[in-house]
Amino acid sequence: MVNIEIDGKKIHAREGSMVIEAADDAGINIPRFCYHKKLSIAANCRMCLVEVEKAAKPLPACATPVTDGMKVFTRSAKAVAAQKGVMEFLLINHPLDCPICDQGGECELQDVALTYGSDVSKYSESKRVLPSKDFGPLIGGDMTRCIHCTRCVRFGIEIAGVYELGTIGRGEHMEIGTFVQHSLSSELSGNIIDLCPVGALTSKPFRYVARAWELVQRDSVAPHDCVGSNIHVHVKGDRVVRVVPRENEEINETWLSDRDRFSYEGLNSADRVQVPMIKVEGEWQETDWETALHRAVDGLKQVGSDDIGALASPLSTLEELYLLQKLMREIGCGNIDHRLKQTDFSDQQEAPAFPWLGQAIGDLEGNDAVLLIGADLCKDQPIIGHRLRKAALSGGRISSVNPADFSYHFPRLASRVASNMLAELVAIAQALLDETGKAAPEEFATLSKAVEVTDAQKQIAESLLKGQSSSVLMGEAAINDAQFSAIRSIATLIAELSDSRPGYLPAGGNGAGAWQAGALPHRKAGGRPASVNGKNVAQMLQSEMKAYLLLNTEPEVDCADTDAARKAMQKAQFVVSLSPYASEAVMAYADVILPVSPFTETSGTFVNVEGRWQSFEGVVPPLGESRPAWKVLRVLGNLFNCDGFDFVESSEVLAEISTAAGDMGRDNSISWRCPASLGSASEYRAAADYAGDGIVRRAESLQAVAQSRV
Amino acid sequence: MNTISNYIKSLFLIELMKGLMLTGRYLFKRKITVQYPEEKTPMSPRFRGLHAQRRYANGEERCIACKLCEAVCPALAITIDMEEREDGSRRTTRYDIDLTKCIFCGFCEESCPVDAIVETRHYEYHGEVREDLYMTKEKLLAHGDKFEKQIAADRAADAKYR
Amino acid sequence: MVAEMKATKSDLISAECKAEIDEWVAKYPLDQKQSAVMAALRILQDDNGGYLTTELMDAVADYLEMTPMAVYEVATFYSMYELSPVGRHKICVCTNISCMLCGSDEVVAHLRKRLGIGLGETTEDGRITLKEVECLGACVDAPMCQIGRQYHLKLTPEKIDEILDQLD
Repeated sequence: MVNIEIDGKKIHAREGSMVIEAADDAGINIPRFCYHKKLSIAANCRMCLVEVEKAAKPLPACATPVTDGMKVFTRSAKAVAAQKGVMEFLLINHPLDCPICDQGGECELQDVALTYGSDVSKYSESKRVLPSKDFGPLIGGDMTRCIHCTRCVRFGIEIAGVYELGTIGRGEHMEIGTFVQHSLSSELSGNIIDLCPVGALTSKPFRYVARAWELVQRDSVAPHDCVGSNIHVHVKGDRVVRVVPRENEEINETWLSDRDRFSYEGLNSADRVQVPMIKVEGEWQETDWETALHRAVDGLKQVGSDDIGALASPLSTLEELYLLQKLMREIGCGNIDHRLKQTDFSDQQEAPAFPWLGQAIGDLEGNDAVLLIGADLCKDQPIIGHRLRKAALSGGRISSVNPADFSYHFPRLASRVASNMLAELVAIAQALLDETGKAAPEEFATLSKAVEVTDAQKQIAESLLKGQSSSVLMGEAAINDAQFSAIRSIATLIAELSDSRPGYLPAGGNGAGAWQAGALPHRKAGGRPASVNGKNVAQMLQSEMKAYLLLNTEPEVDCADTDAARKAMQKAQFVVSLSPYASEAVMAYADVILPVSPFTETSGTFVNVEGRWQSFEGVVPPLGESRPAWKVLRVLGNLFNCDGFDFVESSEVLAEISTAAGDMGRDNSISWRCPASLGSASEYRAAADYAGDGIVRRAESLQAVAQSRV
Repeated sequence: MNTISNYIKSLFLIELMKGLMLTGRYLFKRKITVQYPEEKTPMSPRFRGLHAQRRYANGEERCIACKLCEAVCPALAITIDMEEREDGSRRTTRYDIDLTKCIFCGFCEESCPVDAIVETRHYEYHGEVREDLYMTKEKLLAHGDKFEKQIAADRAADAKYR
Repeated sequence: MVAEMKATKSDLISAECKAEIDEWVAKYPLDQKQSAVMAALRILQDDNGGYLTTELMDAVADYLEMTPMAVYEVATFYSMYELSPVGRHKICVCTNISCMLCGSDEVVAHLRKRLGIGLGETTEDGRITLKEVECLGACVDAPMCQIGRQYHLKLTPEKIDEILDQLD
């Protein structure tokens, strides 16, 4: 630590840190454009010039390291003159179009110009004008407004790992752009909107929608992946008009994936159902809640409780999932599942009670060896991808075994593309056994006979063994694989042999939480074994139940076997859909549609993949007559005359869940079960981009991106 | 002493005479009463009467939906909705002024970066129902079109003080 | 398939050029191949009749294992790289302070009159391109211009005529 003095205030600063960091920590404001705490230092905007004692000229605070006894003046005559001068230069080529600029009102340049600028410009020559650039459906590029801070360029190179934006030309002819016109491909691209201190890079879906001062900012949690990124939802009136990241160093830092940022468009989709609807003699009728709920209960009562299947999306809140399974179990039905895309359930009895990441999200970047199995991080969990990128850049050796050539934004030690991931994993496990000399577990030898260990697999094994802190992570492509149970066995074996942490990256905001809520056919809340072993998703769809209860899901697109799902729904005698949306397909097979609220209109909790419980409030009132699903499920419980459905607030539901699941262990280890065979290669069918859940599928701009990538 | 002088003043009706003298003087002076509505008082170019929305000479509406007037309005009388028009420009889809709320302070005009919203000399308007006093974008533009000449002349006259 | 695509990209570079680029690559540490980017761009520009195309820049990026954007940045930053076709001869007239004080304005005016083209333009026959450049480091003999690899110093209208007449 060194002692410095800024504006007469004595400060202890970390050695090697810059003056601006010390000032920020001490709450002293120094104006800046190019400096950003998460990006490298460029020192090209010169806005942070400050006076340093005994320095001949003003120095940039962002690029001046602190030294012991240093005296810094941020508001001295010399500093102010320098800042004013820089401000004047920055404004020379900046257009005076604040009235039509979306950044107006929340613009760093406006703020700094007001504080440090002069009131009248001396510049009367013509200004530089550039044509707008097309960066794709998400980001608007009004490049005339650019002040060349290069934050976006550095973000691309350093954080996103995609060097797409660059500085073209120099001097007055310098432009930020892609040179060859194309849409930005990074799945974190939306962050450059936040980074841009002016209105050069703005959100296209938000274009001319609202002014910053009209918005109310409310806190929430993003539901689309198991990371649970913290978000600020910006609300105008009763409408969600924008989503920006809420800083949480432990989860998403200052970043947000494009899916979490732009999915809000789906909340305002025309597909939203606003009133309860029932089908009477094949015709849809809008009705009131009481009629609709009674109709739902009557219909479900008509079929035996064994003939009801409940499918829930992992996007549902913990409260919803818990109440759904409680309701189903109360009426004597164990058929409930949230693992819509999973196909292999054969080891579900032995599965960990809470399959989680095996570590905190923040700890991922400390890994020095990682084996990714079937993890399409860019598509499924971009924030996890970013954390692992940090690990890779600081020397971590990351390998992958995938069913297809997934793209990553970081260098990998080995990238194995195998249509039969199991064989690949068995080879890695064999390499580990060879290396360590440990005894192979039962029957493993018969399995490994058929595979040949190559150098690549030896290399992966070696990296995991050498790593002080290593992990084996199973992504969505592994979890949804036809041989998931075998993959899990071998992956856990690999982790055991190499002293690594096994971990899972499930789909959906509550992909991990649903295990705690008990939205499973074989386990109740808290991982306790269920008295009746119900049917899993695949069984429910194949055995064609008489009635289905759907929570936030459209099985014909959400389930692994879409054809079977569509057929099962069409054949069913009675289908109740609790969903914010009604697509044509749902209208065709459902009998009762109960409009429930998406995550922005209900209070609830998401348990992210590191086991963190994040509760949030509704940010806008429910649209039309729609109601939070937990309330609907609670009333359904009353109508079925079930005990224990007297909740008044969602927090009471949460309290009940935490009593049931609060003490759940976090252990991903399983007892060894040797896969019967190496199985066979299966063709991997990649899901379309941005098709993971109902909200995202209805977000127009994200769909435009998905279209452009096809 | 005071009592005596008051007694004399009231006895000879001096106060009354003084008053009558003033009345007499004004009886023969030039009249300043205006016979409204036949006659009208002179008016400043800065008069703040009924609002209008202006257009450019080519017929394009001036308003760019920057929402500054809405933000500055102390009576919250202005409501604006905006969109990106087909040609990519920023335009209002709705521009309403509730005259029953408006206090005619002129802040909207002052805040407007493009001189789109103005307050005109026109103050003789009435409404028979409340809706009549709810100015929509169409009404404001129509009003602006009708009096554009006068509005432009008034802005020109006041230009050097703006 | 990716490997094939990559192969086609740098295949644009002829064997001679590759050999020449390799000479430059050899001058730098093994892990810093990209240091040769400026030389590579120059070699390819000369080979391509004086200008670079996006495909050529992509080829350089591929050959030197760089991101294409990094190559674009270099190519657009330096004024000696041309990104659109130029004439057989490129006359680069310095108009910086020293040359300006010594009469580069007259030099430019004379060149414009004589060639009938403005700065940054090419004669119709594709013979000469006139270009305004920043200081070329020959202030002591200002005003000056560069044609090809040759500096022409202490220019006067007469001297310019003489030089132009000698060009093919």
